[in-house]
Amino acid sequence: MARFKNKNKKALARPVKNQPSVDHITGQKIPKSFVFSRGKLPGPLRDLELDLRKLMLPHTALKLKEKKRNKLKDFLNVAGPMGVTHFLMISNPKSIPHLRVARTPQGPTITFEIHEYALAADIARSQARPSCPKELFSNSPLIVLSGFGSGGQHLKLTTIMFQNIFPAIDINTVKLSSCRRIVLLNYNNETKLIDFRHYSIRLQPIGVSRRIRKFVQKHEVPDLRNLQDVSDFVTKAGYGSESEADEESATVSLASDLGRVNRASTKSAVRLQEIGPRMTLRLVKIEEGLCSGAVIFSEFGKEADDAHQEEDHED
Amino acid sequence: MLTLTDRYLFDAINPTIHLSPPSLGRQTSSGMAAELQTLEAAAAPASRKRKPKHKKSKNPSKRVKQKASPMAAAKPRQPSKKMKKLFRKRAREYHSDEEDDGDVESEEEMSSGDEEDFDVRDDGSGGSEGDDEKDGRGAQHGITRFVGGCRAFRVAFMKIMKKHLPDDPLGPILSAHKKLVAEKLAEEDAEHKTKGETKKEKQLAAEKGHIKPANFLDAKEKFLIGVATKGVVKLFNAVSKAQNSQIGLNPSKSKDTKGVESKIVTCFFSFIHFVVLAKRRKQAFYSELQKTNTQVSNSRNDEKSNETGWAPLRVSYMLTSSKLKDWDKMAEPAAVVGQEHESLESSDE
Repeated sequence: MARFKNKNKKALARPVKNQPSVDHITGQKIPKSFVFSRGKLPGPLRDLELDLRKLMLPHTALKLKEKKRNKLKDFLNVAGPMGVTHFLMISNPKSIPHLRVARTPQGPTITFEIHEYALAADIARSQARPSCPKELFSNSPLIVLSGFGSGGQHLKLTTIMFQNIFPAIDINTVKLSSCRRIVLLNYNNETKLIDFRHYSIRLQPIGVSRRIRKFVQKHEVPDLRNLQDVSDFVTKAGYGSESEADEESATVSLASDLGRVNRASTKSAVRLQEIGPRMTLRLVKIEEGLCSGAVIFSEFGKEADDAHQEEDHED
Repeated sequence: MLTLTDRYLFDAINPTIHLSPPSLGRQTSSGMAAELQTLEAAAAPASRKRKPKHKKSKNPSKRVKQKASPMAAAKPRQPSKKMKKLFRKRAREYHSDEEDDGDVESEEEMSSGDEEDFDVRDDGSGGSEGDDEKDGRGAQHGITRFVGGCRAFRVAFMKIMKKHLPDDPLGPILSAHKKLVAEKLAEEDAEHKTKGETKKEKQLAAEKGHIKPANFLDAKEKFLIGVATKGVVKLFNAVSKAQNSQIGLNPSKSKDTKGVESKIVTCFFSFIHFVVLAKRRKQAFYSELQKTNTQVSNSRNDEKSNETGWAPLRVSYMLTSSKLKDWDKMAEPAAVVGQEHESLESSDE
């Protein structure tokens, strides 16, 4: 006979699969992040939030549930036990979208204005052959910062912030197969805008025709109906793929084999394809605390900026 | 006078009401009365028209009417509550499938019957001839008016339908307050417009900063991809440098993991490369095919003995090749990866 469930008995909480907070090879602390919104966001910005979460995978809460009444304090309270080190907050004050990147629990907080943005879906729509396999997101992206060296203190702080937002790479132990994505932050000194891009990395052997490559990759019997001889399959030129000039700067020799086609002994070309969100940011403000505290840098108030820079130097 | 005409209008209309539900449970006396009444109503114009001619003499028709009217008056009034109940019940049974309708109709019937009662009673109390005549004339008027009205209505309706309308955005309005209607509609329209505008504004505000990327790569994007590629290449080179040196320390381990199959694939690739470079000559292909076949078999046979065959087949191929060592040297001394971002920036500048 079926027994009724005891109502008083509470359902057992599903054991949370604990992600290690420390990298087991390098022993470094893995940074984790929350991406959430402050205040009500319009539709496209909400999508941007989701895209950012996906970008921050795997060390982020992809399905973070936010409620209207959730305060910053609530997130902070959860962040401690979960080992969350960074917050990315999207807000839309006066219908100007803002992105705030903060370190928990002490700060600092860097506020950006989002000048322009394009969602991952928009970018996929603009491409002829978009590809975004799920395996890409099983490893955290690399980060490349360029053009930040020239600026002052605030740029240096931004650099450090973004470097620490993703786990550091130890070049002696890293597997090249885990480097599948890259986040680029390019600072333009003239316009003072930061271009935020997200690419997937693909490696292709050089000097091998597309047919052969596909043959090796796909494990499929090639279609030889239109060929006179087996040798034609090898010798016949393919389509436009070869016409792409393989610049010497974009080729690498791998340390180890990567997949079936990219062998350590051959040279490979690096191909980047844009995925994920695209943003043009403008650094507006840096605060000392978590969304509070003294203003270290402000785009609009130069005096405050200078005064605090002096303080920083004293420190 | 108005009330009178009203009453007659009622008289004229009532029969139609009565005619519709004769099948209701009115088979008894009350049903008869109703039928009689309808007949009377139908005959009324004919009988009453003659009235003015024989003013003094009591008309048989009138008598009939008077006789009929008390009957009509008495009968519907008489049914006791019990009977009413019974009627209702019967009606319900009759219309068992549409109970609600039956109920409503029967009630309606009762009420209409009451009205008629009232009408007839009034007649009776009037008594005098003049009153009667007046009554009759009024009745005549009412009925003719109704008949005329019916036609008039038809004519009017036809007229309206035939009317050629100008292209008025409001459409045909028969109301006297044409202006009011127009005003109201205009107001509504304005409201709608403002609503739409605010919605549009809201949407614009929501979409602020949202851009749809172009289908082609512009110069800026190409530049950015170039920057990113440079970074990736630097990282990979640094990794290969660091990890190759590690491999150099214990070559046996790394080589053992590779196995024969991977070596063959490598061989295949380099061979294909060679073929492509050889201007795709078939002869060369065949000769090479033969060569490689023998070599592959060779390598399989004497794998351990470190034959000096084709370079890639040697166990120490990766390690001893000077080319690869050169690659190491060519790589930047402090290539930038992960933690060493700052050096990347400096090199970028």
